[in-house]
Amino acid sequence: MKKRQLISILLLTCILCSSLILPSCNTQKSKYVAHSFDYFDTATTITGYEKDKATFDRTSGEILDLLFEYHRLFTIYHRFEGIENLCTVNELKYGVHRVVTVDNRIIEMLLYAKEMYRVTDGKLNIAMGSVLSIWHDYRTAGLDEPLEAKLPPVDMLTEAAEHTNIDALVIDEENSTVWISDPKTTLDVGAVAKGYAVEMVARELEAKGISGYVINVGGNVRTVGTKPNGEKWLAGIENPNTESDEAYVEYLQLAGESVVTSGSYQRYYTVDGKNYHHIIDPQTLLPAEGYLSVSVVCKNSADGDALSTALFCMPFDKGLALVESLEGVDALWIMSDGSKRYSSGFEKYATTP
Amino acid sequence: MRMNKEASTEARALDATKKVKNDIILISALLLLVLIAALALFLFRVTGDTVTVGVDGKLFGEYSLSEDRVVEIKNGNGYNILVIEDGKAYVREASCPDGICSSHRPIGHSGESIICLPNKVVVEVHTQSQSTPDIIA
Repeated sequence: MKKRQLISILLLTCILCSSLILPSCNTQKSKYVAHSFDYFDTATTITGYEKDKATFDRTSGEILDLLFEYHRLFTIYHRFEGIENLCTVNELKYGVHRVVTVDNRIIEMLLYAKEMYRVTDGKLNIAMGSVLSIWHDYRTAGLDEPLEAKLPPVDMLTEAAEHTNIDALVIDEENSTVWISDPKTTLDVGAVAKGYAVEMVARELEAKGISGYVINVGGNVRTVGTKPNGEKWLAGIENPNTESDEAYVEYLQLAGESVVTSGSYQRYYTVDGKNYHHIIDPQTLLPAEGYLSVSVVCKNSADGDALSTALFCMPFDKGLALVESLEGVDALWIMSDGSKRYSSGFEKYATTP
Repeated sequence: MRMNKEASTEARALDATKKVKNDIILISALLLLVLIAALALFLFRVTGDTVTVGVDGKLFGEYSLSEDRVVEIKNGNGYNILVIEDGKAYVREASCPDGICSSHRPIGHSGESIICLPNKVVVEVHTQSQSTPDIIA
């Protein structure tokens, strides 16, 4: 009898112990993160919920491989042995551009970018390479030698702007070729390629039934499904005022949507005490003014990328009208004075942590 | 609960009050032990907040956020000076030209990160708190 009592007590203790300890044991999926610096000249972060690290490594590895393929095709800065990409499309041979046979993914992306030129009334213009490369060179030089930092001469910019006609980009879908008819025109897809690539990769994951992932390429964020328990992702919109103690100005709940922020607070250089950021208005040829950041929430991450850049270069009224005219697209504008403006549907994503 | 009842019924049947008393002491002691263990676990988790430093995709180091220190992160010719202070981490100084990392506000919430693109450095906070964003855009 004494033995039975002892066993009972031991069992009781076991139950008590397990009921206290088990909930803290993680039998569910855990969160994993992978970083890379190899794509689109920016930082890539893959976040995913998986049952173990090996599964996450396999899926995140697949995502990174896919991103690398798009990077190789869309980059204007690097050449790769044996493939035609936008870098080789931009090159001149005997003073003119070649007619280049390219991968269908390049054709599709360029057609999309041309369509967005129309939608944004020319604010998203991938034929602006000549102007953007001048700013790129002056910014890089100014960051390397801050005391020598200079602004590009206006003459230089206006001359380059003569060669930014989107119609100089000739796309032959049937033969899968691309040709730039003006030798002084070059492509810069920096405002659309990342988002487009992220969207394509996200769709491949969705087609495979994968969920519980977030792809973030340089602030171009796309959620794939929800967290494993069906809970939505909590996204913080970064405070463009980096001096502030408030890290986020807004919180959003996302389940399969994308959020992309274009801001003047990250990539810039300083000339005579004034900051010049990297988003160049196609009309003024100068860094766009009026906002600290513009965030776009929508399903398609390519739209998010293209629209956030375009909205940054538009007066608020015009930008708001554009957003309201597009199905499933919402935006948050943070004005130069720090005040916030929202599109009508933005509220449905807003939350508090 | 069922076990408890069963145990006490057995004890009453025996009618040995002394034994029952001992059992109660034993159960209480075990309960107390479990509670202390749970409390220790809980406390350990709260102080388990760390910051990890990754260089070019590889783990460079992991440091407790509750311990002030300065870490020099070296990658080739580049460097970033990471400071951990009052439960937060920030980059005080770096070799990169753009200075995005060193102008970043101190981070201390789970999932927050400071990324230095030129030096391929990722500084990331890992805490148990739940109410911080999964994504920063």
